[in-house]
Amino acid sequence: MSTDVLDEELRDCFQELSNVAVGRAADLLARLLNNFVIMPIPVVNLLERAELSMALSAIADASSVSAVCQGFTGSKIAGEALLIFNDASFQDMAELTQFKGEITEQIELELLMDIANILIGACLKGLAEQIDVSFSQGQPYLLGQHINIEELLNRNGSTWQRLLTIELPYKLEGREVNCDLLLLFTEDSLAILRNKMSYLLE
Amino acid sequence: MNTDYTGLAEFHWLIEVMQTVDVGVLVLDLEYQITAWNGFMENNSGIDSADALGRSLFDVFDDLSVEWFKHKADTVIQLRNRAFTTWEQRAYVFKFRNNRPITGVTEYMYQNCTFIPVIGTTGKVQNLAVIVYDVTDIATSKLELKAANDRLAQLSRTDGLTQLYNRAYWEEMLSNEFKRQKRHAHDLSLIMFDIDHFKKVNDTYGHQVGDDVIRAVAEEVRHNSRNTDIAGRYGGEEFALLLIDSDAENALLFAERLRKAIENRRVSTPEGELQVTVSLGVAPWKESFHHYNAWIEAADKALYTSKDEGRNRSTLSK
Repeated sequence: MSTDVLDEELRDCFQELSNVAVGRAADLLARLLNNFVIMPIPVVNLLERAELSMALSAIADASSVSAVCQGFTGSKIAGEALLIFNDASFQDMAELTQFKGEITEQIELELLMDIANILIGACLKGLAEQIDVSFSQGQPYLLGQHINIEELLNRNGSTWQRLLTIELPYKLEGREVNCDLLLLFTEDSLAILRNKMSYLLE
Repeated sequence: MNTDYTGLAEFHWLIEVMQTVDVGVLVLDLEYQITAWNGFMENNSGIDSADALGRSLFDVFDDLSVEWFKHKADTVIQLRNRAFTTWEQRAYVFKFRNNRPITGVTEYMYQNCTFIPVIGTTGKVQNLAVIVYDVTDIATSKLELKAANDRLAQLSRTDGLTQLYNRAYWEEMLSNEFKRQKRHAHDLSLIMFDIDHFKKVNDTYGHQVGDDVIRAVAEEVRHNSRNTDIAGRYGGEEFALLLIDSDAENALLFAERLRKAIENRRVSTPEGELQVTVSLGVAPWKESFHHYNAWIEAADKALYTSKDEGRNRSTLSK
């Protein structure tokens, strides 16, 4: 079977897996913040390099974002989780976490890392458990605060051509909190993922 | 008997590895009492495991922020989800000295930490493991790189003589404000001005004095403008100022204040004190400007009216 296409069946499969994973992550986030989290609908895609830049710009119509990425690997599946946080969300986030006082860049970073830990951790764990693997997560890396979205990918000098992307736009009910979680899998992970999911494909 | 021995040997080397591995391993119970403390923790804190075990973490590290640590730990325990902290959030969680006390550039060790919930045999979280990584070298390189980049950025946008913004950067700022203005209009005014008969100053007193005059004018600009105003050296003796939240009336008041300040300023030269004056053109923002160039042009036109009408005056654009 060809590994370089994302046929409907496989896409549905990823969709299903992601649904379960995001549900868990949303539940944890809701418990942390004591606020209802609107369940995101995962968008699964196989993107070329150039398309990813376009997809990222579409995500952030806001001009200023902060972003964290974290690598993960296990059972020959590898990728990165990328959390893009709209800077306009910090005010509401601070209120939800009962933070009082001035919101400095330092506080924003704490909030960003709290959200990243929960969403990335829970989503990856949710996915991994369903396909019976376990991922080790690297240290999270702060891509930047208050940066332009296009700056994010331009720095990357590596040679990857195509990626499996699962985009999860999280929103909080009644709040101006907007963040996007992207799970990016390398192209060579795709065949292994397909294998691991075969029980769902039958 | 034999299996017991093998089991014991295995346990022994596992402990040996944990003891010597070059990252900090710290395990706490749910009351924050220390239940494991490896060699890295012993050596860097100077506290033997015999002295650390069973004690509260907050007694051992009295400078640890209790509130911060508990918030992280409680989230990990309640949500059964790992958490990572980076040196960018907090340079260090545990105050350890730099492990290169002589050649290191920072006094303390920068750390990344991972908080891991440890599930017990009952299926509940029974302990919290904290792994401490020494990232001093990475952190210092990143900080140094950022400082160098900031310095370069600063240099590339500053005019060397006046320390105001140079023309390229000032225009970039104007262009940004112009775009913002198209979305949400605020009161915003532009002032262009230049030094009267500057060529004569140069010809009479030499370029050295010419530079002193430009510097003195720039100083008056800095003294008289607010932090939010955007001031740049536009050309040789021409300056440009973007006044945030200033309507026509305020901008004209500002222009007059600046004009008088410069008129009252004396620049010392080998041949005695020198007085210079400036001519200003003030152009408040108008909806009808389609490009920021049109705005500059409007201010320039007003500036030329000031020149034509005898110099040392301010003119509001029509």
